[in-house]
Amino acid sequence: MSGKILPFVIVTVMLCFWLRSKRLAKRAERLAAEIGADLLPPERQNTDRAYPDPEAEAVLAALSQGDWQPAAQALTATGTDWERRSYLVGVIARRAADDDTWLRAWQAARPDDPDAAVVHADAKVSLAWQIRGGAWAKDTSAEQFAGFHRVLKEAREDFDRATSLAHPDDPTPYVLQIPLYMGLSAPHEALHQLWAEVTARAPYHYQAHWRALQYWSAKWCGSADLARNFAAQAAATAPRGSLLTMFPLVSWYAHNDDEAPDEAYGWPEMMALTEAALADVAAARPDHPRAAEVRHLLAYCLTKQGRHEAALEQFRLVDGYVEAVPWRYYDNPAEAYCRVRDVALKGAAASRLAG
Amino acid sequence: MTASPRALRALVLLACFYLVILVVLGALVGTDVAAWIWAPPPVAIKVTLVSALLGFPVVRGVFALGASTWDEREALPVTETEQPELWGTVRSLAERSGTRPPDEILLTGEVNAAVSEDARLLGLLPGRRRLYLGVPLLSGLSEPQLHSVIAHELGHYGNADTRFSGITRRGRDCVLRTVAAFQEQERKRIGKERSRQEKANAKRRRMGKKAKGVDTGRTGLRYRLMAKPFQAYARFYLRVTSGVGRQQELAADRMAIRVAGRDATASALREIAALDAAHDFYQSRYALLGIEAGLLPPRGEVFGGLRHLLADPRCRSTLAELRGELPAEEESPYDSHPPVAERVRLIEAQPDDGRGTGPQRPALALLRDAERVLMQLEDVLLTPEALAMERAEWPELAHRAMHARATAAAGSLRTALAAAGIAAGSASGALAALLDSADAGRLWLVAGHLPKSSEAAQATGRAAREFLRPALEAGTYGLAELALVERAGAYWELSWSEQVRLRLPGTAYTGDTQEAPEVEEALTAAVRAATADTPDTTPLRTLLAH
Repeated sequence: MSGKILPFVIVTVMLCFWLRSKRLAKRAERLAAEIGADLLPPERQNTDRAYPDPEAEAVLAALSQGDWQPAAQALTATGTDWERRSYLVGVIARRAADDDTWLRAWQAARPDDPDAAVVHADAKVSLAWQIRGGAWAKDTSAEQFAGFHRVLKEAREDFDRATSLAHPDDPTPYVLQIPLYMGLSAPHEALHQLWAEVTARAPYHYQAHWRALQYWSAKWCGSADLARNFAAQAAATAPRGSLLTMFPLVSWYAHNDDEAPDEAYGWPEMMALTEAALADVAAARPDHPRAAEVRHLLAYCLTKQGRHEAALEQFRLVDGYVEAVPWRYYDNPAEAYCRVRDVALKGAAASRLAG
Repeated sequence: MTASPRALRALVLLACFYLVILVVLGALVGTDVAAWIWAPPPVAIKVTLVSALLGFPVVRGVFALGASTWDEREALPVTETEQPELWGTVRSLAERSGTRPPDEILLTGEVNAAVSEDARLLGLLPGRRRLYLGVPLLSGLSEPQLHSVIAHELGHYGNADTRFSGITRRGRDCVLRTVAAFQEQERKRIGKERSRQEKANAKRRRMGKKAKGVDTGRTGLRYRLMAKPFQAYARFYLRVTSGVGRQQELAADRMAIRVAGRDATASALREIAALDAAHDFYQSRYALLGIEAGLLPPRGEVFGGLRHLLADPRCRSTLAELRGELPAEEESPYDSHPPVAERVRLIEAQPDDGRGTGPQRPALALLRDAERVLMQLEDVLLTPEALAMERAEWPELAHRAMHARATAAAGSLRTALAAAGIAAGSASGALAALLDSADAGRLWLVAGHLPKSSEAAQATGRAAREFLRPALEAGTYGLAELALVERAGAYWELSWSEQVRLRLPGTAYTGDTQEAPEVEEALTAAVRAATADTPDTTPLRTLLAH
């Protein structure tokens, strides 16, 4: 008798569990939709910026009309905010890499303007990379490499001019030269010299470290070890709020993310690095131009670590603007961003229900 | 007779190689037989296929053995009746080296001299001896230096080297060929794996994530494993036999010193290193200058023209520098030759024999009727297509060759002008039309009709211009050259001291140290200005109004 009942009991119990888990999942989904109601869908994510920047938008809008005055004013207004200055030069120079008619007008009106000179030089770097394209070396044609190197060499002369015109305390033309050293495979000794010029003027410059880390990475002129050491040293010596504690994570992501299992993000040293970066970004000045980028990568790491609530907190702070690592490495950054964000969202909802 | 143990060693080593092959093939066949006896037929078929696949490169490597490629190369044989002085010299050198003279002397077009012997019975019995002499050596060496080179080659005969090196060389060929056959299979495998991974990457890309790099590290593993014993053996074999080869070279150097003197031997080695560079330079810059235009220098000059270059004072001073600094070759454990620098050092460390290197006749004087020999050499060495080409005297050759290059360089820009609706007949007309377009701000509209690669076609804005800029500059430069020829009577002038240059009438290069005014530098700058983002056509218009 009991031999016939037992399978029946087992099936019934399993059915109950299954129904319960389905109901829980449905509730979690409802809850996720509720707490994520204010988050934007992929098509409403801005893929040009990492955070809203009305000043940059206004400058670019004027440039589209051929009016360079607002760009000149915005650069003058940055004063000695070197982080903002190099960021804004980059934004303006990228536009000049497409069409430089307004830049030529600017230079004609103010021949020795240091701002126009540094934009001119940095635009050449952007232009060189446009010619090269983002593919691996083996998929890049000889014509692309020839153009890349030719324009980078021109940029070297333009940077010489930009540094001679710049204020002696201004690190910008040195910071923006780092990709040149990367693209032309300059020897390590040369980069050390340039780096001394940068750090003498701005010892904890975020973008400078970002670019130098690229130079030291295995993909360009260094190795995984050199990149890791560089990042670790930057993180160890930087004051809180400089965001430099982010670089060990950046370096790890660049060298390992493709190969490593997801659990790797949960290793104790990775957790420690993430904690340090969280504390750093919390201490940073609110208008730090790179804080949003840091939050994007932190949100990714936290999601991978299963710390969904903490991840969601970062996602909320940057939602709507996704031009940042890691998303920019995907063909469709907005979708990649939303996919990971939804993982965090569902995870957070599930743990709230369970808790 | 020190060669016998060496020969014996080479023989034993070669035998061992065959043994390794036999063992491997035996194991493969044994597996097949076992599979057919004990395994079900599908398994047996698979085992047979795999073993056939593995055994194929082994068999191919082994059976390609034998025919040495050495004797198949083209060379001009010269008989004793044609060249009594050369033969007499070689005979007397052979006598002084204590060895039998060669049976044949053949002239080649390389900066090299060599001996070979069709040794029989794996190199144990003597055979027909051949001496190969590169004509550039005759052009560039003095008579005593040539003696030293020939004595060196005969030195290989002297200690029975050529006879026994037959074994060594044949063994080397065989081993290398087998290893190469394996590597080819492995490459094919890796190619397949690469395309598989690239497909996976394409899929990855469709899923949204950017592609990974392609890694083929684990593919071709089977072949690499199979090749392992052969490669290990090959390394061992090459290392051992290269030691033999090095000893042979040094012994031959000692023979050359005895016969031709220390200084002639050392200076010949230095001279050959410099001559090698000069010959490459001559071939690419002079002999083959007109090849695209279907032009060759006059008969006999294709190999003989090197003399003019060697006689030029500026070239001589460059060569003197080259002689001074011998190239620091990277030493490979498989190379059968010690580095030249090392050989020269050893030779120059010998005591002075007082024979020195006084002023001597050039070695070409040994050739009777050298002009005719140089012509015959062309008949043997040039391809039928090259032989059918038109011949032109050097000055005419230079002008016509460069004119053809300029025409070719300007070709696509002229097509682009036509496509932009700007028709022009002459080069100067086309250039004037181009400059007018530049002044009117339409330069890049014209340039947009230049041929584009797929990357260039996708580019927009400044990047699109940068893709086109090299072609635009080259085309404009070509047009400007042609216009100068048309309008100002400019011409290209050949010089043995420097590259072919465009000259305006009345500014010819006079050959002294005073530099003639350079048209080309001015032209380059003017073309750059005319095609800049803010074009300035004035310099180019001024130049053309010349």
